[in-house]
Amino acid sequence: MDPSQPVVENYANPRTCFFHVAFKAAALAFYILSALFFDNFVIIFVVTVFLAALDFWVVKNVSGRILVGLRWWNEINDNGESVWRFECLDQESLARMNKKDSWLFWWTLYLTAVLWTILGIFSLIRFQADYLLVVGVCLTLSVANIVGFTKCRKDAKKQIQAFATQTIATRFSSTLQSAFSVV
Amino acid sequence: MSHSHSDTVPLHASSQSDIDEIENLINATVHSGPATVLPARPPAPPRPDPRLLLPLPPFLHPPEPPRSSPTRSSSPPWPGGGRPPPPLPPSGGGGSGRGRGHRVRAGPEHAHGAGLGHGEAGHVEDREQFEAGGVPEPVPGRPREGAEGLGSLGPFFFIVFLGLVLSWSASVKKSEVFAVAFAVLAAGAVILTLNVLLLGGHIIFFQSLSLLGYCLFPLDVGALICLLKDNVILKVIVVSVTLAWSSWAAYPFMSSAVNPRRKALALYPVFLMYVSVGFLIIAID
Repeated sequence: MDPSQPVVENYANPRTCFFHVAFKAAALAFYILSALFFDNFVIIFVVTVFLAALDFWVVKNVSGRILVGLRWWNEINDNGESVWRFECLDQESLARMNKKDSWLFWWTLYLTAVLWTILGIFSLIRFQADYLLVVGVCLTLSVANIVGFTKCRKDAKKQIQAFATQTIATRFSSTLQSAFSVV
Repeated sequence: MSHSHSDTVPLHASSQSDIDEIENLINATVHSGPATVLPARPPAPPRPDPRLLLPLPPFLHPPEPPRSSPTRSSSPPWPGGGRPPPPLPPSGGGGSGRGRGHRVRAGPEHAHGAGLGHGEAGHVEDREQFEAGGVPEPVPGRPREGAEGLGSLGPFFFIVFLGLVLSWSASVKKSEVFAVAFAVLAAGAVILTLNVLLLGGHIIFFQSLSLLGYCLFPLDVGALICLLKDNVILKVIVVSVTLAWSSWAAYPFMSSAVNPRRKALALYPVFLMYVSVGFLIIAID
């Protein structure tokens, strides 16, 4: 091993990363380029929204789990209430996640939302209400994933803090005990 | 630690065991489970009706098995999870649904909480299940995924399909027709759901959206028939029949979600929306 070269970790899950980016890029590319070739709004709408829905599914069910170890879903509990569940892996697993993977995950997630917002502003300026509809649907899907995963992550940070406080508390109590028994 | 010190400093017997107990408790909480304590679950309801998993309109369902579940006064229990709710009366069918008392949450301040639900955080408990994919079953036998799985593509597909058919039928302004149809149906579903929530009704947001999407199926069929056969009288007949079917499919769910005295207030807008879609279908040239 050449000591002058720092160890650069590669993507741990290249295929997942690829699909994570692929559908997003395809939806954006199709939307932007199709205006040059197609005149038919309906096809643009259906294909773009379909690609965005596929992307939503991939991010929520596959890449969120594999790249950053988070997941979220909705279930109906026994009282008939709707409950949103956010889960993350335990500390050591989270720490072992590939840094490049998670960087790619978060950055592409935020970037697509920003791009869709910009495209939405363009269509607003041009007073194209129907294209605004497409952008609206795609933006809603992106934002839903962002909110879901950010909630998982925020909870992960809270859990880290809670865990840390607990460990500190146990150390503290055990020192207290030993102090007490010495007296 | 107290054990080592107990050799040199004799403690009272009960104090030593108390200290041991406390120590064990602390160790147990550190090493076990998630940081948040999940609420205890009440005993699971009986196995959900498998018909709830079928996206069929009510008249196509086989007759209902007798329900032995305890009567609950809360919102229609939804054992089918979020698997897109078919236009089916929730547990107990229309009759018993109306017979039950409704716990009505009064006032708009409860609207969003009641509809969207609350959040719970936790750690992954079953690592293997996590890696296999999907989400854990809340109750054995109940399907897992909520409205974000591929389930919510169902109603979305019906709305898009209706828009497509209307767009094909139109000879001019095809893209506007599609956009208008889609926007009206999507916004209509959201507004109708909010309407029920603001009336103090007890429904779940995505469940209602899914229901209104699925109830569009008869109108989809009607629009397709009108596309193929361009006779005005036939169109009127077909649209009236499918409209009645759609409204009848949406009726049990919507009516059981609100106070019986406010039923009409919840149902009339739904009917109105389907009527306007029907007019769109007839008027498309």
